[in-house]
Amino acid sequence: MNFFAVLLKESINSATPILLAALGGAFTYYANVFNIAMEGMMLTGAYFGVIGSYFFGSWAIGLLFAIISSIILSTLFSFFAVYLHSDEFVTGIAINMLALGGTTYLLRSTFHVKGAFISSKIISIPSWKIPFLDHIPLLGKVISGYSAIVYIGFLLAIIVDIVIFHTSFGLRLRATGEEEVATRSLGINPLTVKFISAVLSGLFCGIAGAFLSLGYINLFSENMSNGRGWISLTIIILVKARPLGILLLSLLFGFFGALGVMLQNSSIPPQFTSMAPYIATLFALYVYSKQKRKGSL
Amino acid sequence: MRGIYKIYPPEVLALENVDWSLKKGEVHSIVGENGAGKSTLMKILSGLIKPSSGKIFIKDCHVIFSAPYQAMKMGIGMVHQEFMLIPSFKVYENVILGSEKDLSKFGGLLDKRKAKSIIKSLSEAYGFEIDINAAASDISVAAQQKVEILKQMFRKVEIVIMDEPTAVLTPQEIEELFGRLRKLKEMGKTIVFISHKLDEVLEISDRITVMRKGKKVDTILNKDITKNVLANMMVGRDVIFRVNKPFKTPGKAVLEVDNITVNSIKRKTLGPVRFNVYEGEILGLAGIEGNGQFELVEALIGAMALSSGKISVKGIDVTNIAIRDRRKYIGFVSEDRKYTGLALKGSIKENLIMTHHIKNEMHNLPFTINWNKGEIFAQRLIKDFSIVCRSISEQCISLSGGNQQKVVVAREFTLNTPFLLLDQPARGLDVGTIEFIHKKILDMREHGIAILLISADLDELFNLSDRLMVMREGKITGILDPSETTKEDLGAYMLGVKENV
Amino acid sequence: MSRFRKFIVGILGLIVGLILSILIVKMQGKSPLEVYKALFGYSLGSLLSIISTLNAATPLILTGLSAAMAWDAGAINLGQPGQFLIGAITAALLGIYLPFPVWISIPLILIGAAAAGALWSGLAAFFRQKYNMDEFVSTLMLNFIAEYFTTYLVTYPFLDPKAYVASTTAIRKAFTLATPDQFNKGIYLAVLVAIFTWWIVKRWGIGYEWHMIGLNQRFAAVGGCKTERDYSLAMLYSGALSGLAGGILILGGTQHRFMKGIGGNFGWDGVMLAMIANNDVIMTVIFAFFFGALKAGGIGMEFDTSVPSEFILVIEAIIVISVVATRATIDLYGGKLKALVKTRRVVKNS
Repeated sequence: MNFFAVLLKESINSATPILLAALGGAFTYYANVFNIAMEGMMLTGAYFGVIGSYFFGSWAIGLLFAIISSIILSTLFSFFAVYLHSDEFVTGIAINMLALGGTTYLLRSTFHVKGAFISSKIISIPSWKIPFLDHIPLLGKVISGYSAIVYIGFLLAIIVDIVIFHTSFGLRLRATGEEEVATRSLGINPLTVKFISAVLSGLFCGIAGAFLSLGYINLFSENMSNGRGWISLTIIILVKARPLGILLLSLLFGFFGALGVMLQNSSIPPQFTSMAPYIATLFALYVYSKQKRKGSL
Repeated sequence: MRGIYKIYPPEVLALENVDWSLKKGEVHSIVGENGAGKSTLMKILSGLIKPSSGKIFIKDCHVIFSAPYQAMKMGIGMVHQEFMLIPSFKVYENVILGSEKDLSKFGGLLDKRKAKSIIKSLSEAYGFEIDINAAASDISVAAQQKVEILKQMFRKVEIVIMDEPTAVLTPQEIEELFGRLRKLKEMGKTIVFISHKLDEVLEISDRITVMRKGKKVDTILNKDITKNVLANMMVGRDVIFRVNKPFKTPGKAVLEVDNITVNSIKRKTLGPVRFNVYEGEILGLAGIEGNGQFELVEALIGAMALSSGKISVKGIDVTNIAIRDRRKYIGFVSEDRKYTGLALKGSIKENLIMTHHIKNEMHNLPFTINWNKGEIFAQRLIKDFSIVCRSISEQCISLSGGNQQKVVVAREFTLNTPFLLLDQPARGLDVGTIEFIHKKILDMREHGIAILLISADLDELFNLSDRLMVMREGKITGILDPSETTKEDLGAYMLGVKENV
Repeated sequence: MSRFRKFIVGILGLIVGLILSILIVKMQGKSPLEVYKALFGYSLGSLLSIISTLNAATPLILTGLSAAMAWDAGAINLGQPGQFLIGAITAALLGIYLPFPVWISIPLILIGAAAAGALWSGLAAFFRQKYNMDEFVSTLMLNFIAEYFTTYLVTYPFLDPKAYVASTTAIRKAFTLATPDQFNKGIYLAVLVAIFTWWIVKRWGIGYEWHMIGLNQRFAAVGGCKTERDYSLAMLYSGALSGLAGGILILGGTQHRFMKGIGGNFGWDGVMLAMIANNDVIMTVIFAFFFGALKAGGIGMEFDTSVPSEFILVIEAIIVISVVATRATIDLYGGKLKALVKTRRVVKNS
């Protein structure tokens, strides 16, 4: 029984960064911006989260740094992709490369280490214990005691749903994504809407990054986002960016990620357990594509 | 509007020194060929595009519109030719979009109930019968137009610009629209009516402005003018309203469509449909858009699988063969040259050689393409079809619409296929190109090619067709003789009022 | 756009990129002059430097073409890193165990590497054709799977217990393509393959169909192109090129074995090359040499100026962004500028 409690907890933890990034990506999805720079934004957020936390001794500043750096990157992305009309796909990949090269380079030039930077001076984001639930024997362990960001992530899933489907901004966002010219004829500037959506995705990816390096584990390592941005993007495509769908699928992927981690102590080589999330992504894509095919014929 | 110029990047001169005025409460028509600058002028007035030079005055005040909402504030709204609707949005959402801020509660949360009730009462006030909860993509074209008008009324505009509103409507629907426009006029609104159909213009307007090649020819009172004078002003020379078509007895059946059906979940199904097209015959297909024409075209060309039935060309069963093999028998001009007819970013040469590249004479080794021959071929087509371009390496995207269409027609008409499928081959082109293409179509008819012509332009259908066929809800509802049918009659078939099959 | 204009845009973007990187070096408190001197010296300054530039360019030519070919045909293959690794491990294992004489083994190893790469991309193509799965996602996921899979192979079944890091044993000495002064003769093959690729693209029917499908899939399909066959072949060819790159690196590189993390960024570098070159074959090759020089110079730069060699990754990314942005800017504002000039002229004349 304990195994399952730990598995559940681990699942929720590894779902959180994917969830956050995908929620951010939902904004760009609806604005019809093909945002494949999420991977890079997350990685940048993770790095600057550590910088903020390490040099200022505060997780809050770390989080702030993560968010700001990720937003800067998303602004860069939208400046090129939205305002200069350069190819979104190419720009996004270049931004990812910049993030990967940039963080690796900065890691070496700032901390003079290769691979990973670990220090006790990196202050992690505190975990929350929910007052009463915490004391319930089994349940308390499962739903209490996560990093604050985990709870925020779940809350954000609901908020994003409301924003996209029930507000004036959401209406404009979806209209921009579907028919840009029509939206423009109604006095809405689609470029502004797209820009805002990109910045929002930057904000969310920044939080996701901070969670990676300050919430989940307390270090920064090269390429530590390790495909989570891509998985988020896949999830967005699979559930057509519906926030509650994102929440569910993120948990599913979190489960596979956790399974990989938990099985590392077993006889299966760790390389195979680490493949779990990626194989799961392929499988999810398979199920989705098969359904889609049925529908279209 | 004074001294208006518009030059589209890189160097397309769309408007040249246009002065134009509008009086309160009038119905003012702007006529001209496609590409004369009518829409461009009105898009400038509605703030959608910026003039390259020139000034706009409203009640003697100089105004500068850099975005549509500024024009909207001054009471100017435009119903565009291509409707500006968000397909997945509900009708009421489409109406409030862009002005929904007033309907928001705290934090931008939309008050959907209030929005619905306002739109409902507005729509009732104008006598529109639309379901405001239906998705825009699910309602008919005529209803979509009502939504567009409702959008303008919701914004309380004083000047309504209608860009080619009748192009997508049947004669009956056009009458209904005119009734609506007259009602708006009675309510004190000013209406700008853009069209190239002279009868309609003469029916509805108080004043008429004629435009030609980006310049204003003149503005005249409706009562001072006749149709012929107007046509002359519009084109700059006398216009033949009827194409000279020699009589020809049709030959053997070339295309035989035998009870085909197409089932798809998303769209309306097609069929069962059964008809033949004969050697040297032009069979015109009429019908309101979205009544199965798309599926028929896709099925004929092989892009959509049949659920049942058989298609054969010259007795050869093509039902189950790949598009590549099918193209030996079928030439195809698609309705959208941008997405199906051309690779816009490819060169003219690359676009002209498509499909021809499969033929043996274009190869030197079986798997290579002989580009020398390809270039000679491309040069020949450019000459034969008078395509205006700088070189065969120029990108198609930089050609004018008319020349782009000529590239498509040139390619497809030289494939030596016994059957030609023409889907709106002359839509949106200038009169010169239309005449040219019509002439080429009749040439092909002379050569004994069987032609299926799909068109939304009833004049085109009546002018060219040997027989008319009407489609409604995926089925053929009428076969008519164009010389014994009136437009109104055809409209009745299109709307489903009449049937003869 | 003409090749000449493409080239000019590329050079313009390059200059913008280099200027930006000067600023970054300055911000770090280092001397840009010294950095560039080191970069130049270690890439073109001596025979040895030129050799290391050419060696770095060899896999880049192939991975670059791999990306360019797939994208030109509208197949979003982002699996170069994975296909490269699979090709490399195949070459390494064949190189260890193949018992045949050299003249037959080397071709076999290279063909094997290419086939393995094609198999890996072919998997994604199969997923797409059979199950309609987007190759953009599947190739990316296959990258991770390839990485873990090859790591597994060199950690467990084929581990060389004497090595410091997880790696296979060295391939047979006779199979190496490197000269005594470390020059990788594989570059001849890479250039040959590039010429062959150019021939396909410009002269073959399938090259024409690929390009047309890439420009407008529906247009090509309706025009009678064999879109499905062409797609599969583009994916396979693209994967084979990446696999071959991995194979040549094993045979001609300095390690002669597959070790964890081999090839570093060659796969993604190829992706970036294709982007800068706008999928043009000749441009891809030219920029591959340039990137090769940067890579070779980067190692020397770290040596001389203590700027970490990872800085090269930053420069590369900046160059990609500036080239792409320059291209977009010229397209966007070039047209607007022309329109403005013409307005002036027309208004004045009337």
